Amino acid sequence: MFLIKKNEVLKLAQELEKSYAVYGPVVEKESGQAFLTKVDSVNDIDLNAPIPALPPKSVVFPQIEKILGYKYDRNSKNVDIKMVVVPQAKAIFGLRSCDLAGIQCLDRFFLGQEFVDDVYLLHRKQMFIVTNTCTKPFAQCFCACTDSGPSAKEGYDLNLTDIGDSYLIEVGSDKGKELCEKMGLQKSEAAHAAEKVKVVDKSLDSFEKEAVENKAWISRVMNRITTGFIKPQVWEFIGDQCFECGACSFVCPSCSCFNIEDFNKPDTAVDRMREWDSCSFEGYTRMAGDHNPRKPIEDRRNKRFFCKLSYSQSKKYLRPGCVGCGRCAWVCPGDIGLPNVVTYVRREITEREINE
Amino acid sequence: MSEYKVITVPEVAVIKEIKKEIEDTSTFYLEFENPEVAKNFKIKSGQFIMCTIFGAGEFAVSLPPSPENDRFHISVRAAGKVTKVLHSLQPGDKVGIRGPFGNGFPFDEIKGKNVIYVAGGIGIIPLRSSIVHVLQHRNEFGRVIVLYGARTPQDLMYNYNIDEWRKIEGVEIYTTIDSPAPGWKYEVGFVNTLVEKAKVPVDNSVAFVCGPPIMFNSVIKDLVNRGMREENIISTLERHMKCGIGKCQHCAIGRTLVCTDGPVYTYKQIKTLGEQI
Amino acid sequence: MNYKAGICNFCGTGCGHLLNVEDGKISGVFPSRNHPVSKGRLCVRGWHIHELIRTDDRLTTPLIRKNGKLESASYDEAVSFAVEKLKGIKKPSEELGFLASPRSSNEENYLFMKLARSVFKTNNVSIQSESGQRESLNVLYKGTGMAGMLGSIEEIKKAEFILVVGTDITKQNPIIGSEIHMAAMNGSTVVTICSRKSQIAKLSDIHLQCKPGSKKILLAAMAKGLIEKNLHDADFVQKYTEGFEGFANSLGSLNDGDIESLTGVSAQQIAAVVKNLSEAKTAMAFFSSGISGLDEDTISYIYNLFVVAGKIGKEGCGVNPIAGIANLQGTYDMGVAPDLLTGFQSIKDAETAKKFGKAWGADLPVENGKDVYDLLAAKKLKGLVVVDHDELIVRQQKAIDDLDFVVYFGAFNNPFTELADVVIPIGTYVESDGTFTSTDRRIQLSHRKVEPVKGIQAGWQVYSMVAAKAGAKWNYDSPAAVMAEIASLTPNYSGVKYDKFKGIGGIQWPCNDKYPQGCPRFNAGDAKGKIKFVSVSANFKGAEKNTEFPYLMMTGKAQHFWHQNNLMRRTFIPMREYNATLLLYPKGYVEISPEDAKSIQVRDKWPVKVVSPYGSMKVTVKVTPDVKSESAYVPYFIRDMISEFLMEHKELLEQGEDAIIPVRIEKV
Ligand SMILES: Cc1cc2nc3c(=O)[nH]c(=O)nc-3n(C[C@H](O)[C@H](O)[C@H](O)COP(=O)(O)OP(=O)(O)OC[C@H]3O[C@@H](n4cnc5c(N)ncnc54)[C@H](O)[C@@H]3O)c2cc1C
Ligand code: SF4
Ligand code: SF4
Ligand code: SF4
Ligand code: SF4
Ligand code: FES
Repeated sequence: MFLIKKNEVLKLAQELEKSYAVYGPVVEKESGQAFLTKVDSVNDIDLNAPIPALPPKSVVFPQIEKILGYKYDRNSKNVDIKMVVVPQAKAIFGLRSCDLAGIQCLDRFFLGQEFVDDVYLLHRKQMFIVTNTCTKPFAQCFCACTDSGPSAKEGYDLNLTDIGDSYLIEVGSDKGKELCEKMGLQKSEAAHAAEKVKVVDKSLDSFEKEAVENKAWISRVMNRITTGFIKPQVWEFIGDQCFECGACSFVCPSCSCFNIEDFNKPDTAVDRMREWDSCSFEGYTRMAGDHNPRKPIEDRRNKRFFCKLSYSQSKKYLRPGCVGCGRCAWVCPGDIGLPNVVTYVRREITEREINE
Repeated sequence: MSEYKVITVPEVAVIKEIKKEIEDTSTFYLEFENPEVAKNFKIKSGQFIMCTIFGAGEFAVSLPPSPENDRFHISVRAAGKVTKVLHSLQPGDKVGIRGPFGNGFPFDEIKGKNVIYVAGGIGIIPLRSSIVHVLQHRNEFGRVIVLYGARTPQDLMYNYNIDEWRKIEGVEIYTTIDSPAPGWKYEVGFVNTLVEKAKVPVDNSVAFVCGPPIMFNSVIKDLVNRGMREENIISTLERHMKCGIGKCQHCAIGRTLVCTDGPVYTYKQIKTLGEQI
Repeated sequence: MNYKAGICNFCGTGCGHLLNVEDGKISGVFPSRNHPVSKGRLCVRGWHIHELIRTDDRLTTPLIRKNGKLESASYDEAVSFAVEKLKGIKKPSEELGFLASPRSSNEENYLFMKLARSVFKTNNVSIQSESGQRESLNVLYKGTGMAGMLGSIEEIKKAEFILVVGTDITKQNPIIGSEIHMAAMNGSTVVTICSRKSQIAKLSDIHLQCKPGSKKILLAAMAKGLIEKNLHDADFVQKYTEGFEGFANSLGSLNDGDIESLTGVSAQQIAAVVKNLSEAKTAMAFFSSGISGLDEDTISYIYNLFVVAGKIGKEGCGVNPIAGIANLQGTYDMGVAPDLLTGFQSIKDAETAKKFGKAWGADLPVENGKDVYDLLAAKKLKGLVVVDHDELIVRQQKAIDDLDFVVYFGAFNNPFTELADVVIPIGTYVESDGTFTSTDRRIQLSHRKVEPVKGIQAGWQVYSMVAAKAGAKWNYDSPAAVMAEIASLTPNYSGVKYDKFKGIGGIQWPCNDKYPQGCPRFNAGDAKGKIKFVSVSANFKGAEKNTEFPYLMMTGKAQHFWHQNNLMRRTFIPMREYNATLLLYPKGYVEISPEDAKSIQVRDKWPVKVVSPYGSMKVTVKVTPDVKSESAYVPYFIRDMISEFLMEHKELLEQGEDAIIPVRIEKV
């Protein structure tokens, strides 16, 4: 473990900038909103910025991206297929631990199943990740209930924790260690590590009461969702509130669904693009010739929560799909962000128990 | 993560011949441009490929050829945006192919058993590969029965194949249409009625069922009523597909993905998926 | 920083978003969490606006038609040609029309209007047929002097009672729908008057599922109930209003005994709603003002009901028409109407005309102009100038083909270019600065985010070029300068300046000396003179029961894509969603109730024939409990259907959403 003075912490980012495209939390001036995005200058990075609105999946899995280019001339029958270019290696500086868990879900899903998603891999390989411990949770957070924060446990190259006048740097990989050594950073003492424990405990104590209470409930709710033992009326109540906007999927750090379309350009070249998609849409499952196995909206909502909170899906992510970032709650025009759905299911379980 | 195959880039194939099957469905005979690719293209019955129509998009399509000694082809219904463009192409035009994908039908496990195929309409397409393969190895199986139904005589696919199969000894072929038509000399009625007529054996048997949801459900009911075990009823499922490689999740059904965990499922599995077919 | 703050340009809600700009291309969109209206939400359209803006299907060069074919030209050539031809039109006040786009910025609409009036001497300047908005503004202007929403979206959460009339707001303006839903979740009472079980109806506390065509009667019954039980706000009426007697009298002819049979809503239900309304300290009404908006009489009843209840003119209150298109409100504010100048000032008002004449250094045509659509229909036009085009205008293809000369200004390639003699490209809304006024009078500045396509000029520059060619000297160096001129001529915009737009959220007009930072709502004290009850008809005949045509058929929007179809075509995911409906019902559908389906002996997706006194069409049925027995509902989203059948009922349809067509439905 190493130490770095608080006012020097961005030197790490400066060092990374030499070999990586650096992404970090930056506040957009006009709207006052924090984004995790490619930085124009590392000095723009604000480690104290609130949890970025945009989930960091956009770094490895952009909202819309070209995955293939081709040209086909029907007259000469000439086909010219081009793979996408390899982007510059990326470094994320100042990632929150829930968001790291989100990236880990994506890793396991895109790289760990039967096939490796080669486009995702292009973004992900050689990536350098510096996480940042949340010393106090934001209003919507409940990572404490989903076991994904407030401090990252694994999966980072370096993990920063604000312990007063300096940051403690934990090392998670050889790459990380090399960087610290190259910069000649000071080694930390046992007392510093102890200080970190205190900081994390204090952070845990300051979660909203509700968020903490929900912890035990989340596993009960997962149980119910996995077994399908939830009244249809509850899904209907939830489904009626869905405006079918897709936002919950777009902002979720672990949602990976995409659509693929071939965009014809004026000069006969075609870009095959993939773009974030959402299981809330009717067209997501509709098949040619009238058949839609998942037509009513409540079927589609039920799918989402099965995806985020069921043991079967967790097997793919090696953790629950929900990492507790709370983003879906603030973008939902209905009132059915994940925490609320947990509450609704919880209400039903309680009612059932009373009645039985 | 070290070794992986690039699977998002299609290989180019040329359309060699187009044969009209029925009203809106044609068979396209294909050949890979690169002989190396053609050599390595090994399939299992029941698998599918993702086919790119340049300038229009990509769609999932079953592989009807047998894994051995059969011409590479696909049979496609003009169902929507992309498939309609395919139907406007001519021999000599090129398409892109990714795959094969999916689990495929069991072949070795069913050796020695009675094999029953039940197909409705274009549901015969995914079964063709397995039928031909089994017929190529006729003596390794018990009774081989093909029950095939369509709305009218004009809606029957692979007529030319069926006529040949009828000639093979020890293969029981039943075809049926929904209501009587002039010149029709085979059965009349829905496919599920053939189950009874053919006295489908249920012991030491497997049934492959494929067709539209209504037909599928009634056939299953009849088979189960006759005593066929749910794990011996095999089907292929169809879902909206975008990637074919288990990443886009459009094809999710219950906890599985049809493109990688399927498209072949036993009825026993289907029942536990907890979603509409 | 790749993300740049802006506003959604689809519907009139005016949600805040941030666009991701990568390598000069828009590659994503994200909601703006601190935006006062949308607070981090976007609807399905808003979430896919990047698909539209990033399209390569752009007009990249001016085009002139030569021997029937469009050929590339320079701006100078195209503009000269257009000016020469337009100037050649002898009687511009009768033969020349200017069709503006409700999606253009205020600055561009203002200049377009100025071009028509001061340079080409015609008052025939209007927009596509979103006339419902105009009717709403007329009512509100007559009553309060404010031609805009009386309340504010930000204050929805402060309304204890919310009345939604007609519109399926969760589809049309989803984020306003969301705000109403959130208020309901926090304890406000939401009442929806709608003949169908729309999503907002399902989310409401009370759904008054009235018979088609009886909304007005229901509203009158509510007003009558308030007054008779002395539950109205007598102090407010006395202190601030005039015309109460007249309104009360017109309710006299409504017979209490008839209400239930006319509307299908029970007296108890009405009484409950009346009680809720009177007990609430604050209340708002919402209704749509799109193609399927309400008619003026029904709007007048909503307005009068709220005046008599004392629910306008203060915080958390208001009568709120909802604009379906991004800058629809702003387009009227900019005087894009045959009889108006900016800020709803009448062109017939001598003082106003003088003020504008002086500022513009030109004489204005004095007579009111005519609606361009009417002129097209009347075959009077010789020349037409169009900005952006909407699917609707294709209906007029024949009439447009017959014109001598057509000029088209637009950013995208589209079928309309085939009808034009000169095509002059302009930039998209992300390629220049401009302000947009959303439905709650919120003026928001959208900054330029990307470089324009090579060689393409912004709309305000192009219009200045046209003026210059025609000999007028316009000296704008920026959109800000255009706004300065607008402010100097428009009382409600007099305090608007580009440097006032700091951060996000914009300024709600009136923005003037009294309210230098704008004002969220209409305040009772600000009325010129007293607040007026507007006159209403006292005709309470319900739709007549007709044995030959027993079904009352309503028309409306199906999915949220119709009236922006021209734009939606360029998106992928919203288009896929639209297609999901289209493919299920490729020839469109008519919704009927399960009971009626039984009696006609049809099932979902079966074909039927819909016969009216004027014509018939074949469609499939969609069987749904969302409509009541003896009503039918036809979504207004398939062009064939509209041209073949509904067009026969054009006059009826112009009455707005409450237009109902008596039909018979037969199995085929
Ligand atoms: C495993 C599998 C095997 C198939 N085999 C055959 C076959 O042998 N012959 C045949 O004619 N058809 C087959 N289909 C169906 C075929 O894939 C669809 O008809 C085709 O995708 C329709 O595409 P479209 O673009 O023309 O239709 P559109 O309606 O325009 O659909 C747009 C997109 O939606 C998706 N989609 C729509 N319907 C389906 C669907 N039924 N299945 C999968 N994706 C869909 C596709 O991504 C398609 O590109 C198969 C489908 C699956 C899943
Ligand atoms: S489900 Fe909601 S709270 Fe959970 S990780 Fe996704 S966005 Fe965050
Ligand atoms: S299925 Fe739905 S919840 Fe699951 S990853 Fe896809 S969009 Fe997210
Ligand atoms: S964010 Fe809410 S309204 Fe939008 S799709 Fe998700 S659940 Fe539905
Ligand atoms: S509600 Fe309107 S303004 Fe808001 S995101 Fe949707 S289309 Fe855009
Ligand atoms: S088709 Fe993409 S996951 Fe199955």
